[in-house]
Amino acid sequence: MLEIEDLHAGYGETWVTHGLSLSVAPGRVLAVLGRNGVGKSTTLKAIMGLLGSVRGTIRFDGRPLLGLPPYRIATLGIAYVPETRDIFPSLTVRENLELAARRFGRPDGAWTLERVLDLFPRLRERLDNGGTQLSGGEQQMLAIARALLMNPRLLILDEPTEGLAPIVVQSIHAVLDGLRGEGLSMLLVEQNFGFATSLADEVRVMGRGTVVWAGSPADIRADTAVQAQWLGV
Amino acid sequence: MTADASFWIVQTLNALQLSMLLFLLSVGLTVIFGLLHFVNLAHGSLYALGAFVGVSASAFAGSYWAAFAVAPVAVALVGIVLYVALIRRMRNAGPMNQVLVTFGLIFVFLDLFRLGWGDIPLGMAEPDLFSGRTEFLGIVYPTYRLFIIGLGLVVLAALSLLLSRTQLGAIVRAGVDNGDMAACLGINVERVFFVVFCLGCALAGLAGAVAAPVLSVTTDMGTAILIPTLVVVVIGGLGSLRGAIAGSLLIGFVQTFGAVLAPQAAAVAVYALLAVVLILRPAGLFPARG
Repeated sequence: MLEIEDLHAGYGETWVTHGLSLSVAPGRVLAVLGRNGVGKSTTLKAIMGLLGSVRGTIRFDGRPLLGLPPYRIATLGIAYVPETRDIFPSLTVRENLELAARRFGRPDGAWTLERVLDLFPRLRERLDNGGTQLSGGEQQMLAIARALLMNPRLLILDEPTEGLAPIVVQSIHAVLDGLRGEGLSMLLVEQNFGFATSLADEVRVMGRGTVVWAGSPADIRADTAVQAQWLGV
Repeated sequence: MTADASFWIVQTLNALQLSMLLFLLSVGLTVIFGLLHFVNLAHGSLYALGAFVGVSASAFAGSYWAAFAVAPVAVALVGIVLYVALIRRMRNAGPMNQVLVTFGLIFVFLDLFRLGWGDIPLGMAEPDLFSGRTEFLGIVYPTYRLFIIGLGLVVLAALSLLLSRTQLGAIVRAGVDNGDMAACLGINVERVFFVVFCLGCALAGLAGAVAAPVLSVTTDMGTAILIPTLVVVVIGGLGSLRGAIAGSLLIGFVQTFGAVLAPQAAAVAVYALLAVVLILRPAGLFPARG
């Protein structure tokens, strides 16, 4: 579904990834692990077309994405939940959601405003609050809800558990597990080892701007050497 | 003189009238600024263009309302040409290049005005509907100036509704907050920018046509209004409608009352205000980004 080959991406003259390759299969969840600064977020930004300096190949359903503007990439069916959540502070919770829903909501579309509010009841109480009045956990829920309203075929998440209380992490886990059960393809970047490996079908470990290890969640749980060398678990 | 209530009422109305002209100009500039960080110094020239086109249109048709209708459309069309020919290419060129190119445009417009309309100040008749004077609250005030204040308030209300209640408004606010994330939701920010740019140009043209009957129309009127307009945008906060409203009122009142109460200090009053705001609130009074 998503294939990345020999990706070199960065900011201006500074290259962060060096010949990275990975792929997400339809209906599968790929977790990308790795320490801070190894190029995980940079890879996701490159997929979304947000970086100026990119070389290599990124294909979605066989279609090259490099050079397309972000709004075209989004329209192709990729939804992005960034590390910083990027809730629009000038918009209410409802407006944040409607912005995504009105452009992608189809009559037969799986995700509607009602359905995401059932998934995140906390947001229903907060509908008329401003985007900045939310707690970190609520912002993360809103970012995921907003992405779902785009009815994506691939959901990209950048460290969805970062900075959240354990109870919120649990509820996010339950939601993502449900999405996985429905067969939504996901690319999950995480530092939370337990969270990522319990959701993923496949695991990649990144180090120094490229993939240094590939395998299944069971493999990496058993491989303490890889954990120690690349994850510091 | 200053103890007289009518003095204060008249000067307040004068200040409101200037504020509304500044608002019509600064609102387009600030949203363009906020949405794509584009610095268009030629915005004042578009205001002057509106005035010149208005003078010609009203002379041709023999009616003020021809100016009122034609100037915004003509200036928006010129804006489209500017956008396609220059501004779109300058989008990623960085602020310095944008400032230089649009600064150059000021001189291009200046000479085009000279070629087209000459160096002699031009005038334009008020509409019959709003000619003469109106008596109220114990004062006599030119009716057309009341019309300017009313028009400014109508545009202000319409833009507030557009920004706060419509989908386009939500898209513009989202684009000002975070253009990258808006694009990741499938919004073509570039196209939104184009629409906003055209709207900003039309409002500048409207301001020019509306100002023409009260000011003399000269080739340098665009450069004269550019500085206070930029001050409004900076004081109010880049990209913010509320900031444009507050900044326009502040500058309109400081400039008007400064000129009558302390003429010797009036020239620096606006800049002193700018300095104070920048020291206390570096992002402006109502920054668009929280």
